[in-house]
Amino acid sequence: MARYGMALDYKNCINCKACEVACKEENGVLMGADKHRIWVGVNEIEGEYPLLDIVSSSFQPSQCQHCDEAPCQEVCPTNATYYDKNGVVRVDSDKCILCSYCMVACPYDARYVDDRTMTVDKCNFCSDTRLDRGETTTACQNTCPTKVRTFGDLDDYDSEISELLRTREHFSLKANLGTKPKLYYLT
Amino acid sequence: MSETVEKPEQTGIIAKAKDFVTTIPYNKIGMKELLGYEKTPRNQLVALLTLIMLSMFLIGIITYFVEGHHAYNVSKEHPWGLLLAVYIFFVVSSTGLCIIGSLGDVFGFKDYMLISKRAIFGSIVTILAGFAVISVEIGHPITMLIYNVLTPGLSSAIWWMGTLYGAYLVFMIIEFVFLLKGDMKWAKRFGLSGLLVGLAAHSNLGSVFGFLNARPIANGVFYPTYFILTAFITGVFIAFIIMGFRYKLEFPEKVKTMLTGLAKIQALLISILIFFVTWKMFTDIYGGMPNRSEVAVHILGSWTFWAEVILAMLIPLFLILKDMGKSPVVLFWASLSGMVGVFFMRYNLVHDTQLKPLQMMKLKEYQPVPEWIHYFPSGTEMMISLGGLGLCIAMYYAGTKFFNLDEDENH
Repeated sequence: MARYGMALDYKNCINCKACEVACKEENGVLMGADKHRIWVGVNEIEGEYPLLDIVSSSFQPSQCQHCDEAPCQEVCPTNATYYDKNGVVRVDSDKCILCSYCMVACPYDARYVDDRTMTVDKCNFCSDTRLDRGETTTACQNTCPTKVRTFGDLDDYDSEISELLRTREHFSLKANLGTKPKLYYLT
Repeated sequence: MSETVEKPEQTGIIAKAKDFVTTIPYNKIGMKELLGYEKTPRNQLVALLTLIMLSMFLIGIITYFVEGHHAYNVSKEHPWGLLLAVYIFFVVSSTGLCIIGSLGDVFGFKDYMLISKRAIFGSIVTILAGFAVISVEIGHPITMLIYNVLTPGLSSAIWWMGTLYGAYLVFMIIEFVFLLKGDMKWAKRFGLSGLLVGLAAHSNLGSVFGFLNARPIANGVFYPTYFILTAFITGVFIAFIIMGFRYKLEFPEKVKTMLTGLAKIQALLISILIFFVTWKMFTDIYGGMPNRSEVAVHILGSWTFWAEVILAMLIPLFLILKDMGKSPVVLFWASLSGMVGVFFMRYNLVHDTQLKPLQMMKLKEYQPVPEWIHYFPSGTEMMISLGGLGLCIAMYYAGTKFFNLDEDENH
């Protein structure tokens, strides 16, 4: 029993997209631009050549926020979306009816349709792959060359993520919606 | 001993049930009578259109079974498309007809008794058409039937909407049977239950959108209440259409009186609707709230919004107010315009909710992020949607052949 979350030192991101590749490889996510569990957002450089505002360019890796109060879970008519014992928001594809309500309700646009099962899929912190094998990191964290991501148990005082959240300022996305995300962006 | 006592009792109940079912009055007609109709140009045209729409439904369904959801133009950013709008169109029509049917047999307004049976039957066929369309919109309808019961998501508006509509259909069918039998006491009981469950289901359908905290344009109390209002309006439009076809636009005095009354109610309802929509637009735009005001401004610039306003609100209201609803023939045509407008109303509701991309930090993914999400229905979606209308007309036609949908003179 844990309460998994992830801290992202997003200013270290170099947009190599290794995390996206590792996620697809590890979890067997289908190819295609709209089939992804995680992504790297890009803030384009602002201004016009030669007056470019170089510092305006930034990269923002993101994915399912694994909210404590997940709208996608609340709206699911068959409880196909559920919290597992580690607080990870997951989809039981046997129960998913593809009504797509979760896709419309998720404020983070974190869900897509897996064409093989024709059910909704999303990030599950590698719960059925790496964590299931006893590993303690997610594929995206493990592969990141600049160590942007730190995955761990938020309830464990001594975990690296708890230490980070105690010592670094951080923010959550769309916190005003009351979703209580478990992804924290370190500033 | 106890067995011998129970047996006759069980047989009694079964016999009673059997007797109840076998005494439901219906016309014993063969295929020839079922397909036989007066060969007027108007009837021929409606028959041809219905046949074309049913063929479209068949082709649409086959395409869906072959290609799956890829046959639809829905996407990750716009997962709800035309079929959901058409489902809403049909269930709104059903709830509206249920309200119209209830005016007479539940609330006891004598003038409206003559449409009760026809409206309740209409409410059954429209919801069945809606269920037919949604069954190919939802990816796994059979799984839905199983897990709606085994692991119900009680915090989901879709669960409540679906479950209540299922119960509503049962109540409507039972009410219709009692109406056929002329048992007004039980028709009233089931009618009231059906009406309450139907209204609850329908406002839950509104809350499917109203509960979307992520979508400020839809979020809030507006849709759950607006759905009830627009259902009533839709019911009145359809009442004019079905009575127009029933009497071939030559209305007897009694029907004229009823339709004039309905027209006056409609004028009030449409006025309230215009008031609602105007204030929704003002509050959406006022203050420039992000993700809401720019969406509202975008909606104001779309032709489908103005199609909704002109066809469903302005034209019918103007024509009713011209002579306070005393021209049912004109209002028959106004109601056809109104129903086209109501279709756009449903389409806009679904499309506008998903207009604004949710990508907040995903400012650029693999391609530039669109400012607005674009969607245009595929041919398959259009064929299934028109097929739903064809199903609806075909079922209603069969109903007019099998049952006496006019008011019984002795009640």
